[in-house]
Amino acid sequence: MKFHIVKRDNCPLWKKCCLYLAAVVIALLLGGALLIALGVDPVAYYTRMFTMGTIGNKIAYKVWINYLKELVPLALVSVALSLAFRMRFWNIGGEGQFILGAIAAAFVAFKTGAGLPNALTLILMCLAAMLTAGIYGLFVAALKVKFGTNETLMTLMLNYVALYVLMFLGETKADWNFFLDAGSARPVFASFTELASFPGIPMGGKFSLNICVILTLVIGILVFVYLKYTKQGYEIAVVGDSAGTARYAGMKVNRIVLRTVFLSAALIGLAAAFKVGTAGILSTSITDDVGWTGIIVAWLSQLNTGVIFVVSALICVLHYGSTVAAATFSQVDSSFANMLQGVILFLVLAADFYTRFKIVPVKKGGK
Amino acid sequence: MELDKLGVVTSFVHNIVVYNIPLLYGTVGEIVVEKSGSLNLGVEGIMAVGAIFGYICGCYANSLGVGIAVAFLAGALCGLLFAALTVSLQANQNITGLTLTTFGLGVYFFVGNGLKAKGWPVMGDYANIKAGFSDLPIPVLSDIPLIGQGLFSHNLLVYLGIFIAFVMWWYLNRTTPGLKLRAVGENPGAADSVGINVKRMKYLHICLGCGIMGIGGYYMGLNMSGSFNSSCWINGYGWIAVALVIFANWNPAFAIIGTFVFGFFNTLRVSGSSLAAAFPGVLGWLAAVPTQLYQALPFLITAIVLVASSVRNKQGSGLPASLGLNYFREER
Repeated sequence: MKFHIVKRDNCPLWKKCCLYLAAVVIALLLGGALLIALGVDPVAYYTRMFTMGTIGNKIAYKVWINYLKELVPLALVSVALSLAFRMRFWNIGGEGQFILGAIAAAFVAFKTGAGLPNALTLILMCLAAMLTAGIYGLFVAALKVKFGTNETLMTLMLNYVALYVLMFLGETKADWNFFLDAGSARPVFASFTELASFPGIPMGGKFSLNICVILTLVIGILVFVYLKYTKQGYEIAVVGDSAGTARYAGMKVNRIVLRTVFLSAALIGLAAAFKVGTAGILSTSITDDVGWTGIIVAWLSQLNTGVIFVVSALICVLHYGSTVAAATFSQVDSSFANMLQGVILFLVLAADFYTRFKIVPVKKGGK
Repeated sequence: MELDKLGVVTSFVHNIVVYNIPLLYGTVGEIVVEKSGSLNLGVEGIMAVGAIFGYICGCYANSLGVGIAVAFLAGALCGLLFAALTVSLQANQNITGLTLTTFGLGVYFFVGNGLKAKGWPVMGDYANIKAGFSDLPIPVLSDIPLIGQGLFSHNLLVYLGIFIAFVMWWYLNRTTPGLKLRAVGENPGAADSVGINVKRMKYLHICLGCGIMGIGGYYMGLNMSGSFNSSCWINGYGWIAVALVIFANWNPAFAIIGTFVFGFFNTLRVSGSSLAAAFPGVLGWLAAVPTQLYQALPFLITAIVLVASSVRNKQGSGLPASLGLNYFREER
């Protein structure tokens, strides 16, 4: 009996959900088998991981505040990347754009923070970060439309250029370098919490909701509307399906690419401003790999804005929860999360195949 | 005093080779993979997996050969995973590669930290490994003053890496299977129509290339004398290898030169200050160059090469035309 593979047009939603769910369950079972081999009770471990140690914890509100601090940049970067991915523009430069955005935001905070009111400084920080990151992305897009430069490799290279600029700022003790703490003999980034900081909204008890969380949700909704109900959003969809068709329909494809990539990178810059403005300090590991993880989240969500929020929330639980669980179960290294995330993704990628294709047996005798 | 200065130069040249040969393994491996039309961004992770399993198994067997073989196999297995997902299951190559990096580094730390808690094998305790990784001077050539000791007195894996690079150059450019492989990377549909088994070609060469990367990872572990701590042995070399593939224009022989160019900057970062101290008059300025510039240079140069070659409209570029695109036969 021979088989051949046929593309399928649309897979029913329930079937998709079942396949993805099965992939996640199998991954968790594989992880569980590994945990048993290490002599750890998988149920206890997973419970600790997925609740992030909030059950029976008197300071659970702190867990939630820290969790949201991780979630905001990841969700926003993923949303931003999905804009470019929709046009099949492989912006894997999220890391670099994030770093430049963070530097720009910190620059504004140091330079204007003392003289201006907090709200105005924050707005300026966001604008500076968006502009800087946006231009960094636009540069690659311009090369792509003008010369056909491979954007995947180009953005990859620029990630590292940005990273070493940040490391240069973080490791060079000099009079001009106002990013560093003047009081410390060793090079340490200076804190600017006093100069500018995103406010929290008290929500009863000790929990306060950082304003960035609300802003991120609002931007998510705006992007959703932009993609679904505006002319520009429609243009992005057409260019992504077929640039040739778009050109034939009279769309200015180059302009659409440039505009969308700028927007994508600018939103990544905004995410960086949120992160820096909340942390109140730069760090050489400021990105927390959101540029990489964001790519995976955007893809897992099939570039669907709503799903991105759900998936990034889950990925954050995985990451944050595994560090919490590692504190309790000393036999299991916190790198377990990366492995588990990898296995989940491999299986989801495999499951994805069955949503796009079906395997049909070749009939004997017939064609 | 004069002799000491010569010593600084010799050890500088020696370090360029010793510390950067893993780049050559990673690059040659990635060239083989990319020539089949697959862009694999998992080099960092694959090298890490090859490193950890190669090192551990090599130590337990007390044999360098076993270490190399296991590192190759571990890398090839990662390649098999990549090929199964992207060739058979049509998954996106960028995503699969990035996941492979996350997964590979996860495995590296999970296995490494797990074993460290139980008792880490120390390289010095395994005589065969230590002896196998010591320098083997090439007679006559290594007696050349100044550069002889630097260029022609190295461990077995250095020679193996350069040998593999030349063999791969010959294989890709002078043999029939190599020609077929390049055809698959350029236009799989056309290759398929003349009877080349595209799937098999892709599977074989992705596994082969990833296996070579695995050996590169093993080298890095040995070069660190197997001391395992919180930063990964591979330490970003996998990403530099991805850059180096472009710099070498997808040519394994150029990759050797590229390795030494990138290695030159890499070594300046580490020993630029000792050069500056030995020759204060001529090279004194080296001490003032920020080390981050050396680290950024490989990526900066590659970015410039990438732009320059696209401006020249791909004349003579080795970039496989269908790089990064999956081949689906029914859509031909």
